[in-house]
Amino acid sequence: MGRTCFREMNMDRRELFTLALSAAGATVAGPALAAAADGHGATPATERATDHAAVLVDTTLCIGCRSCEEACQRANHLPAPEVPFSDRWVLNTPRRPNATRFTVVNAYEGRPSPDSRDRDKTYTKVQCLHCVDPSCVSACIVGALKKRDDGPVVYNPTICIGCRYCMVACPFEIPAYEYSEPLLPRVRKCTLCTGEDRLGKPKPACAATCPVEALVFGKRDELIALARSRAAKNPARYEDHLYGEHEVGGTSWLYLVGRPPTEIGLLELQEAAPPRLTEAIQHGIFKYGALPVAVYSGLAGLMWLTNRNRPQGGAK
Amino acid sequence: MSHHAARALRHHARFWSTGTLVLSAVMAVGYGFGLARLLVGMGPVTNLSDQYPWGIWIAIDVACGVALAAGGFVTAALVNVFGRGRYHDLERPAILTAWLGYSFVAIGLLFDLGRYFNIWRPLFNWQGNSVLFEVGMCVMVYLFVLTVEMLPALLAGLKEQAAGTGRWARLLTSLDTPLRVARRTVKRVLPGFIVLGVVLSSMHQSSLGGLMLIAPTKLSPLWWTPILPALFLMSAIMVGLPMVMFESVIAAKSYRRAPEMELLSPVSRVVPWFIGAYLTVKLVDVFVRNDLSVFLLDGEDTVSWLIEVGAGLVLPMLLLSTERVRRSTRGVFISACLIIGGVVLNRVNVFLVGFHPPFAQASYFPAIGEIAVTAALVSTIIFLYRFVAHFFPVLPATEADPQVDDEPVEEESAFGWARGFRRPSLVLFGGFIAFYVVVHREAITESERYTAPTGLARDTSSGPKAPARETPAAPPSFSPEAMPALLVLSSPLANAGTDDYEPVRFMHRAHATHSGGDCTVCHHRVQDPAKPDDRVGREITQVDMSAFRPSTCGACHRLPDEPDAPTRPGLKGAYHQQCVGCHEREGETTAPTGCRDCHRRFVPSHKDLLALPAKVTDPRVITARCLECHADVGEAVLDTSHWLWRGASPHETDRERESSLGKLVTINNYCIGVGSNMERCTQCHIGYGAFTSDADFHDRTRIDCLVCHDTTGTYQKAEGEGGAPLADLDLVAIAASVGQPTRGDCGTCHFNSEGGPNVKHGDLEPALANPSPELDVHMGQHGLACQDCHTTTNHEVAGKASTLAVGTNRLRCEQCHGGSPHAFSGSVRYHLDRHLQAVACQACHIPSFAHESPTAMMWDWSKAGQDLPVLKDANGMPTFDKKKGAFTWGKDVTPEYRWDNGRTRHYTLGEPIDPSKPTTLAEPQGAYADARARIAPFKHYRARQPYDTETNLLAVPNLWDGFWLDFDWEKALRVGMASVGQTFSGKFGFAETETWHGLHHTVVPKDRSLRCRDCHEADAVSCTRCHGHDENGPETSCEQCHGSTPGQDFSVQLGPSYPATAGKRLDFQQLGYASDPALLGGRFHKLEGPFGARKNDKAPTPPAAEAPAP
Repeated sequence: MGRTCFREMNMDRRELFTLALSAAGATVAGPALAAAADGHGATPATERATDHAAVLVDTTLCIGCRSCEEACQRANHLPAPEVPFSDRWVLNTPRRPNATRFTVVNAYEGRPSPDSRDRDKTYTKVQCLHCVDPSCVSACIVGALKKRDDGPVVYNPTICIGCRYCMVACPFEIPAYEYSEPLLPRVRKCTLCTGEDRLGKPKPACAATCPVEALVFGKRDELIALARSRAAKNPARYEDHLYGEHEVGGTSWLYLVGRPPTEIGLLELQEAAPPRLTEAIQHGIFKYGALPVAVYSGLAGLMWLTNRNRPQGGAK
Repeated sequence: MSHHAARALRHHARFWSTGTLVLSAVMAVGYGFGLARLLVGMGPVTNLSDQYPWGIWIAIDVACGVALAAGGFVTAALVNVFGRGRYHDLERPAILTAWLGYSFVAIGLLFDLGRYFNIWRPLFNWQGNSVLFEVGMCVMVYLFVLTVEMLPALLAGLKEQAAGTGRWARLLTSLDTPLRVARRTVKRVLPGFIVLGVVLSSMHQSSLGGLMLIAPTKLSPLWWTPILPALFLMSAIMVGLPMVMFESVIAAKSYRRAPEMELLSPVSRVVPWFIGAYLTVKLVDVFVRNDLSVFLLDGEDTVSWLIEVGAGLVLPMLLLSTERVRRSTRGVFISACLIIGGVVLNRVNVFLVGFHPPFAQASYFPAIGEIAVTAALVSTIIFLYRFVAHFFPVLPATEADPQVDDEPVEEESAFGWARGFRRPSLVLFGGFIAFYVVVHREAITESERYTAPTGLARDTSSGPKAPARETPAAPPSFSPEAMPALLVLSSPLANAGTDDYEPVRFMHRAHATHSGGDCTVCHHRVQDPAKPDDRVGREITQVDMSAFRPSTCGACHRLPDEPDAPTRPGLKGAYHQQCVGCHEREGETTAPTGCRDCHRRFVPSHKDLLALPAKVTDPRVITARCLECHADVGEAVLDTSHWLWRGASPHETDRERESSLGKLVTINNYCIGVGSNMERCTQCHIGYGAFTSDADFHDRTRIDCLVCHDTTGTYQKAEGEGGAPLADLDLVAIAASVGQPTRGDCGTCHFNSEGGPNVKHGDLEPALANPSPELDVHMGQHGLACQDCHTTTNHEVAGKASTLAVGTNRLRCEQCHGGSPHAFSGSVRYHLDRHLQAVACQACHIPSFAHESPTAMMWDWSKAGQDLPVLKDANGMPTFDKKKGAFTWGKDVTPEYRWDNGRTRHYTLGEPIDPSKPTTLAEPQGAYADARARIAPFKHYRARQPYDTETNLLAVPNLWDGFWLDFDWEKALRVGMASVGQTFSGKFGFAETETWHGLHHTVVPKDRSLRCRDCHEADAVSCTRCHGHDENGPETSCEQCHGSTPGQDFSVQLGPSYPATAGKRLDFQQLGYASDPALLGGRFHKLEGPFGARKNDKAPTPPAAEAPAP
C-alpha cells in the first residue's frame, strides 16, 4: 500500500468525516434553532385552556362504588363486564382502562386524607386526562386525535392508520387498542361523552352519576378556583397540590388529593409538555425547509466540484 | 484501478440452492403467521399490549430496517458526492440492499398497522407536528428516489436480456425505444436524485430517533436525550459501510467468489473514525445529562447498554484499527457483524428494552408469530437480493468469471459455499432457541383474578343483637312517635342527570332512635327559622338542642358546587356523603353501603329494546333474547337455589357445610316429595321443562325470566306442563313489560304452594298481592315489594324459610328497624325494647295468621283414594278430596309459640322414623337456656302420610300420572321411592308427622299488635309494682314514664288487644319459665328485692339458669 494509498485514504477519511459531522451538526443545531425559532409557545397552553371542559375529582370523597364505571359503560355502549359493577372485590387488584372500558377505579390502602374518618382506603379514578397540550395529538401521524376548541381530546377512527404512536406518546398510558379486532381496530379512550348520542345531556355520564358528587364538571379555570377555595376552607384535608394543574403542561382532569399523589396511583411527571420539545425540534429543523435545502445545495455543490474533473463514464 | 463491469450472476450460478430453499421455507412459515394476523387480528398472533404497543415489528422491522439500509445512501454519497469512484462496484449492491430494505419496511408495516388499508392517508391527512408524519413522508419519497437509483442496473439488465433469444428477449426488443429513452433520462437526472437521497436519508434516519422524544417519562435516561435524532443519524452513517462490507462478503461466498478485499480493506479503515465520533457524542451526552446512578436504575437496561457500547462499538473500533484485521476477510466480516449487531441492539434498546411503561404488569417478549413474520421479511429481502443480483447486473464481475459467455458453467453442488456457513448458522440457531426458551417470559396482559364471596349482601348470620341500650332520659323534645317512620327521598335535584335508581325509602325514625335522639348527627346545621331562604345557617349548639327544629336536607343542599359555598355538596351528594359516610364508620355491621342495599334499580322500559318477532310461542326464544344483553344474569341464575332447588344450608343443624339439601332430598307433609312428580311440581320452578335430567339444570335457555319479571300480572305457568306457560299468553307483550318483580310475581308460586291459596305457609296468601294496610303494614301501607326485604345479589334471594333447610342470608327485622325499634318515649320504649332479648318481633306483631285465605292445619293422606263425601267446613273449605285425603282448615288462627334461635332441623329421605310418635319434618332449634333463642310464633301443622313399614322410612308417592290417576298406593310408592333412589319393601302404612312454619308476613299495624296483657298476667304488668310508691310518698304520675304526648290513654297501653286469648296465648311453664317473667324476671336476669314478687306471694325457687349456649 504505502504512502500513496495512505494519502488517498486520508482524503477518504476526511471527506467522509465531513459528511458525518455536517449531517450530525445539522440535527444537533435543530434544537438550537428551535430555541430561537418561534414555536406555538408564546402563550402558555394553560392560558388558552381556561374555558375548556374539565372535571375536578375530589379523591377524599370517592367511596369506590363504581357507579362511574357503570355509567361510562352504558353511555358509550361498551360491552358488559365479566364481573358486575356491584362487585367491589375487583378494586383489590389494580386495573387499567382497556379496549372495553374507558375508566376504572382503583383502591389504595390508607385514608384519603388525614381528617378522614369514614374509610381506610383511597379510591382513584383513572381515565384519559384530556391534557391541555396532549402528546397523543401531537404524535398522531394523520391527526386522528384532535383537541377540540372546547377541550376534549377526540378520536376519529376513519382516518386512523393504527400505528399506535399515540399509545407510545401518552405519559399516562391511557389509549387502549382493540388488538383482537382483525379488520377495524380502534384506539379506545374516554371521550368526555362528546359522542352524538350524548347531545343535550349536560355532563359526562360519570360526573352526572357520582352519588357523592366527587366528580364536578365545569370549566377548567372555574374548577381550579373551586379546588383552591375548598383547600383553603379545609387545609387539614387537602394537600397543597392540585394534580393536573401543571403536570405535562396541564390536564383537564384535576385531582384534589389528601395525600401524596404518587401514593394513590398518580404519576409524578414533569411540568413541561413533551410536544413542546418534539415540535420545537421538528419545526426548527424544517422551518421554511431551510435546512434541507441548504444541505442539498451544499452536497450538490460538493458533488459538482469532485466530479467536474473526472472523465465521464467513471461514476456509472 | 479498473472498474469491473457489473454482471448478472445467472451466467455462472443457479438460482435455487439450499440457502434459497431455506429462505423460502422461512418465508412460507412467516407469511402464514402474517395471514393469521390479517384474519384474526394482532391479539392472538403477537404479544403486543396496551402497555407495549410497539414490539419487534417496529423496533426491528422498521427501525433496524431503515438503519441498516443506510448503506445505500452512504455508499452513494461516498461514490458520487465525494467522488471516491474506486468504490463504484459497491454502489449497486448497496442501493439494492437499501431499496429492498425500505420496501420491506413498508410491506412489514402492513402487518403492524392496525388499519393497514389506511396506509395512504398520510398523503392527504397531514399532521405536521408529528415526527412520525415526517418519517412516513420522507421514507415514501426516499423509496421513490431509491427506485430511480436502481434504474441503471435494472435497465442495463433489460438491455442485456434483450440481446438474448426467446419470447422475453423479443418483447424487450420491441420496447427498445422507450427503454433507450428511459436510460437517457435516468442518466441525466440521476445526480440530482443521488443528492436528494442523501438529504432525505439524513432527515428520516434522524427523525426515527426523534420518535421516542415524545415519551421522556417512559424511556430510560440511558437512551433518552434531546439529541437522540443526531445519535440515530450518526449511528446510521456509522453502520452504512459495515453493511456494505457484510453483504459483499456474504454475496461473494454465496457465489463462490473471492470477496473484494481490495475495496473492503480501505473502506474499513474509515469505519473506526465513525465509531469513534458516535461513541464520543453518545458517552459525553450520557455522562453530562446523568450521574452514575443512572446505571443502577434497572439492571437489564444497564447490561444491554454495556453490550451495545462494549461489543457493538468499542470492540469493533479496536478491531478495525488493526491492519491485520482489516486485511482478513474474517476480521472484516466479524467486525461488520459486531457493528451491525450493535446498531440493531441500539434500536431494540431505544424502542423496547429501555421503554418502561409506568403501569406495565408484565414485560414484553416477542411472540412466535412476531418473530416468524420478522424472519420472513428478512428472508424475503435476502431472497429478492439474490433474485435481482441473479438476473440483473448488480454485482461486479471478477477475473475468475468467464467473459461475456452466455453458456452457464456447470454448477457444482451448492453445498460448497454453504459448508463454511453451516456450522456458525447452526450455532446461532441453536443459541437462539436456547435463549428463547431460557429467557422468554410470557407477556401476560393484565390477569385480573378476583375472589369474591358468593352472593353475600349482608352478613346476617350472627345471633340476636346485644341487648337494647339502656338509654338515659332522652331530651323531652325527642318524640319518636311524632316522627314519620318512613320517608321516600325523591327530589329532582337528587335525580338530575341520572335515572339509575328508584328513590330511597328512608327509615327516619329508626335512624333517629339509633342516634339516641341526637338529631345533629344528620341535621348538622341549624337554619334561622326567620329566614327561610337561609341556606348556609350556622353550626348547631347545645342551646339549639332543646329548641331545635331540624329542617329538611333540601333546605340547604340543592345543587353542587354553587360558588357561594364551594364545599357544600348538592342534595344527592349530601345524602350519599352523609349516609354512606356514617355507614362506613359503623364498620362491618348491617349498615348498608352498597347502592342496591338502599335503592332498587330503575328498570327502563323494554318495549323498544326487545327486537323480537311480533308473535312468539316458544318461551325459550324470549329467554334467549334476554340473555343476549343479560348474559351474566344467566350465569348467575344457574347457581341460585331457586334454580337448583338445593343450596347451602349453614343454618341447618349438623349440616352446616352441605349444599345438597333441597327439594330433592327433603320432603314435607303436604304433597310430600317432588321425585317422580316433576311434570307437576315444576309449575313452580323458574325454568321451562320438567328438569328430570341433570343436564337441564345447566341449560341457561331454560330459565323462565318472565315468571318473576312480568308486570302485566297475566303471566302464569300451566299445570302439569313441566313449567311451560299457559298456551294463549301474549309472551311478547309480557316480555315488553318486564320490570322489578311485583308481589304478584313472587306470589304466583309462593302464595299458592302445595296446590292452593295459602295451603302451606299460613302467612303467605294471595291477598298480599294487593293488601290493605290492616292485612300487612309493610306491603299494604308502605308499598314494599318482596325484594325490599328479600334483597338479591346475583339473583340469589335472601331469606330462609323455616320449612326449608336451604338459605344463607336470614332476614331480621332489626336490619331496617334497628335494635331499639319501639316508637315510644322513655320507659315504655325501654321495656318494650328489652323484650327483644327473649321475644321475636313476629311474636307480638303477627298475632294471627290466615286472614283472607284459610290454611291447611291438618292433612290425612290415609283417607286418600276412598270415596267419601266432600263436606264443607265453616269457612267453605272442603274437608275431603279423593286425590288427597281429609283436611282441616284454619282461618284467623292463633299461632303456637316456641323457642327459635334461627337454626332448623329437617327430616331427610332415608332417615328411619319412630312411627309410634309424630315425626317432626321441619323444626326450629332453640331452647329456654339458649341465649340466642327467642320466642316466636308458628303455624303448627300436622299430617298423616305414607311410610314403609319394613324400613320405617317416610315414603314419596308418585302422585302425578300415578296415584292421582289410579289411586294405587303400592304402585305409587314404588315408583316414587325408586325416583329418589330409595328402596320400597311393598308394605306401607301411615305415620303422623308435623311441621312448624315460622310466621313473618301479615304484620299488623302497631295498634293491632299484642300488648302486655295478651301474654302476661294482668296483675304482673301493673307499672306501680316496680315504679310504685311508699304508702307515704307521692303518687307516680303517668307523665313520668310516658312523656307528655297528649291524648294517650295509658291503660289501653297495657292491653290486651285480643281479650279472647288473653293469658292463654303463651304457656310460660311450657316454654321453660318457672312462672311469668314479669313477676320473676327473664331467663338471665332475675328481679330481686321488693320488686321481685308480689308482696303476698311466696316466690317459687327459680330453676338454676344453665350457662348460655355458645
